[in-house]
Amino acid sequence: MPIDKIFKDDASEEKGERARMASFIGAMAVADLVKSTLGPKGMDKILQSTGRGHSVTVTNDGATILKSLHIDNPAAKVLVDISKVQDDEVGDGTTSVVVLAGELLREAEKLVTSKIHPMTIIAGYRMAAECAREALLKRVIDNKENAEKFRSDLMKIAMTTLCSKILSQDKEHFAEMAVDAVFRLKGSTNLEAIQIIKKPGGSLRDSFLDEGFILDKKIGIGQPKRIENAKILVANTAMDTDKVKIYGARVRVDSMTKVAEIEGAEKEKMKDKVKKILGHGINCFVNRQLIYNFPEELFADAGVLAIEHADFEGIERLGLVTGGEIASTFDNPESVKLGHCKLIEEIMIGEDKLIHFSGVAMGQACSIVLRGASHHVLDEAERSLHDALCVLSQTVNDSRVLLGGGWPEMVMAKEVDELARKTAGKKSHAIEAFSRALVAIPTTIADNAGLDSAELVAQLRAEHHNEGCNAGIDVISGAVGDMEERGIYEAFKVKQAVLLSATEAAEMILRVDEIITCAPRRREDRM
Amino acid sequence: MAAASTASRPRASKAESFVDNKRKEDIRSANINAGRAVADAVRTSLGPKGMDKMISTASGEVIITNDGATILNKMDVLQPAAKMMVELSKSQDSAAGDGTTTVVVLAGALLRVCQSLLASGIHPTVISDALHKSCAKSVDILTAMAVPVELTDRDSLVKSASTSLNSKVVSQYSTLLAPLAVDAVLSVIDPEKPEIVDLRDIKIVKKLGGTVDDTHTVNGLVFDKKVSHAAGGPTRMENAKIAVIQFQISPPKTDIEQSIVVSDYTQMDRILKEERNYILGMIKKIKATGCNVLLIQKSILRDAVTDLSLHYLAKAKIMVIKDVERDEIEFVTKTLNCLPIANIEHFRAEKLGHADLVEEASLGDGKILKITGIKDMGRTTSVLVRGSNQLVLDEAERSLHDALCVVRCLVSKRFLIAGGGAPEIELSRQLGAWAKVLHGMEGFCVKSFAEALEVIPYTLAENAGLNPIAIVTELRNKHAQGEINSGINVRKGQITNILEENVVQPLLVSTSAITLATECVRMILKIDDIVTVR
Repeated sequence: MPIDKIFKDDASEEKGERARMASFIGAMAVADLVKSTLGPKGMDKILQSTGRGHSVTVTNDGATILKSLHIDNPAAKVLVDISKVQDDEVGDGTTSVVVLAGELLREAEKLVTSKIHPMTIIAGYRMAAECAREALLKRVIDNKENAEKFRSDLMKIAMTTLCSKILSQDKEHFAEMAVDAVFRLKGSTNLEAIQIIKKPGGSLRDSFLDEGFILDKKIGIGQPKRIENAKILVANTAMDTDKVKIYGARVRVDSMTKVAEIEGAEKEKMKDKVKKILGHGINCFVNRQLIYNFPEELFADAGVLAIEHADFEGIERLGLVTGGEIASTFDNPESVKLGHCKLIEEIMIGEDKLIHFSGVAMGQACSIVLRGASHHVLDEAERSLHDALCVLSQTVNDSRVLLGGGWPEMVMAKEVDELARKTAGKKSHAIEAFSRALVAIPTTIADNAGLDSAELVAQLRAEHHNEGCNAGIDVISGAVGDMEERGIYEAFKVKQAVLLSATEAAEMILRVDEIITCAPRRREDRM
Repeated sequence: MAAASTASRPRASKAESFVDNKRKEDIRSANINAGRAVADAVRTSLGPKGMDKMISTASGEVIITNDGATILNKMDVLQPAAKMMVELSKSQDSAAGDGTTTVVVLAGALLRVCQSLLASGIHPTVISDALHKSCAKSVDILTAMAVPVELTDRDSLVKSASTSLNSKVVSQYSTLLAPLAVDAVLSVIDPEKPEIVDLRDIKIVKKLGGTVDDTHTVNGLVFDKKVSHAAGGPTRMENAKIAVIQFQISPPKTDIEQSIVVSDYTQMDRILKEERNYILGMIKKIKATGCNVLLIQKSILRDAVTDLSLHYLAKAKIMVIKDVERDEIEFVTKTLNCLPIANIEHFRAEKLGHADLVEEASLGDGKILKITGIKDMGRTTSVLVRGSNQLVLDEAERSLHDALCVVRCLVSKRFLIAGGGAPEIELSRQLGAWAKVLHGMEGFCVKSFAEALEVIPYTLAENAGLNPIAIVTELRNKHAQGEINSGINVRKGQITNILEENVVQPLLVSTSAITLATECVRMILKIDDIVTVR
């Protein structure tokens, strides 16, 4: 007797072959979507928001594209997730990871149709991934000891990362900036200390790195515009009268004088607060909330520079870099940690005035001011620079580097191929498939550059037959070239993360044999 | 509804697993066409004989303008690539202030040649790289062409300001407005930082009535505000001592909710009397410092002044100007060299500003307030713009802003370059020569770039009703003979040495137009898909 219904209305269930196909196709479609952004000649996408304002984003960053997609295929969501994780972990390779996972699934699909059990495929993939990782480890270059060489490695990595982005034309300029900024961090991966400020106008080349911290705010009226040896109190407090936060609290009086007295008392309280703040012996006061006219005047009288309405991120970072703590009560001056910096002054970038804190306590801190034609350019530049910074800061910790331009994939593919030959049983098909998937990455890079991918990849494979070959695809000249000479380097950590997470994601999707879509939650019709 | 249609789209694309290059081509050409359409829309407003556009906004307001940035801003485009063109003109506005039409027309021309390059099968990134190279080269060429200018050379500054003004509605007043703009900018330069001009130190006050002829700078401060007349207070004050106050002269109000309990009429009388005394007390304190002009900041919490306080202030012979915006306070205090006063207790004589004369002048049907002869005046300038109707007035303000920007450009980068299409033709010639020594696709792209630059003289001639082909070819010929400053003299309708005609513009305007336009075109070229997202 058939079971009538296990699920609710509207819930659906797909089984076996159908379920697998659905997830394969979904994942591959997502991979194909971002495929064209891969490599130095990858294209950009416009992301057009359907929300209010129809805002437009132009980007080349895989993670950004995937993050903003509408997706209702569960397998596709897995790919979006791995790209997000890649972004958080290492910052770069967000497109590669999705493309590789997509290729692995495409190969798996073929194997499944030729009646190989998904579990066998998974086992083969696992062996292949392990072997590929070993192959990479054998070929890594580590220049940790040689500081000068290490720096040039970092420059090359930065340039490789940037060359696929909008900053490609000024990549030396930006690579220099990114490397300088990361070196200032002295090994910490805390990118918070690097502040990126975007100011429209000028061109990308006008962007610069500045030591210290820049706050996009104005100094209050009648206050000093330049302070040396500043002692900074960073606060988050309301600078209007303290109010009783009980609804309906009110005072009853019977004459005007008394109202005036209350008003006077309120003013007095404000004055007290300012006095307490001044009692910290400061000459700069930065508040997250508004400073009203009255306290502003008091600060001006005391010759203190007061900055109001600094955004939350701004003051947190200011507190971090100047070594101060964000205060909200001022009764115990001794327990509050003040921030210090050598010089505060007003600077002008483009049409806007900004406040510059130089010689801050936390030496690592620096600001990168980006200039560019429009907001689109600036946003994309920020994303690209952020990628470069992430990769660099990771590489500073793990100094192993690899060559780029499809070189690692070819090295891995060769090793994996050899493994396939040695392995007996059905697994060897899966291992072979894995190698084919790896080769798909250089193929895509060549395709995107409008080159003859079949020809180039065949050449590359032949070159790699020789031991210790450095050949990769040089997209600029459109031929196979020596990657070491061209200075195309990638971080080992990025490649490893790409390899492992793509394999894991493929494995996860392969294991699926049933998709259950739950009935959507009923909503009140709001239209 | 929109959500439903977009949700179905990705699902449809999942069915096809092969890569469809047709779609990418379509997207690219759609983007390019949209960009070109935007450029075509503003093309006719380029140059001294360019036409104006009338824009009627969604709210029914009508704007007539020749300013590219303003036109595009109000156009309200939806297509993403078209939006980028609008952004482009905005950034030119913020970078150089002038040349907002030029930059868009240039980008449109570049897009056109890109389209034909793409059609001949060149990869977009190759075109993009070639564009970048040509752009860098162009900047070098332009810099080599430029003539250095000193800030003391007022004539040259005036010339470049009038070049900018010549293309506007107010062109017949350029002899008036150009020196005005130059003087205004020069007067706000801080000798300590001679490179930087903050245009916010120049206040432009618009007042309807009169003609543009009546526009003038005021050595002091101008407000488009009436003096409070409520109780017959003074409207003219010599030897004024001015206070800028940020508190209110009205009955006290606490932040905490309060209510006064009145039980009988005598109490009522007493409260009224107390209110009077309270205000009187404040006014006495003000009077005691010798202050005779009050500028009161607008307050949203309560009335800045009441009828009662106005009455007393009038009796004390204190002139009152109310509702000064908070953002204006900085400018006002800077000009008057005084400090804002936020509390009556702090009302002291040293915080006051001094001026010889504060007077209300009637202009047309409105009134304005002028403060002149300010002692130790800060580095600010006020310009009073007049116009016979709102449209002319707005356009005059925009044109003046452009002229100010031009002068500012010259202050930050002190080089002048010829106008009238001369630099573009010269660029086109030199790039064309350069293209011949380049190899491969690059040379081909640079050549196209060089050709695209000719759009500026071509459009200039076209808009002036001249034969563009004849003019451009003649111009090319002149430049080939080494007369690098030959340009189109629109007034005479022929080609002359444009430097002698005093048609000059700042180098910064030209270089930023070229760099910004190429940056934008390169971005559009690299796009191969439009993805709809949340």
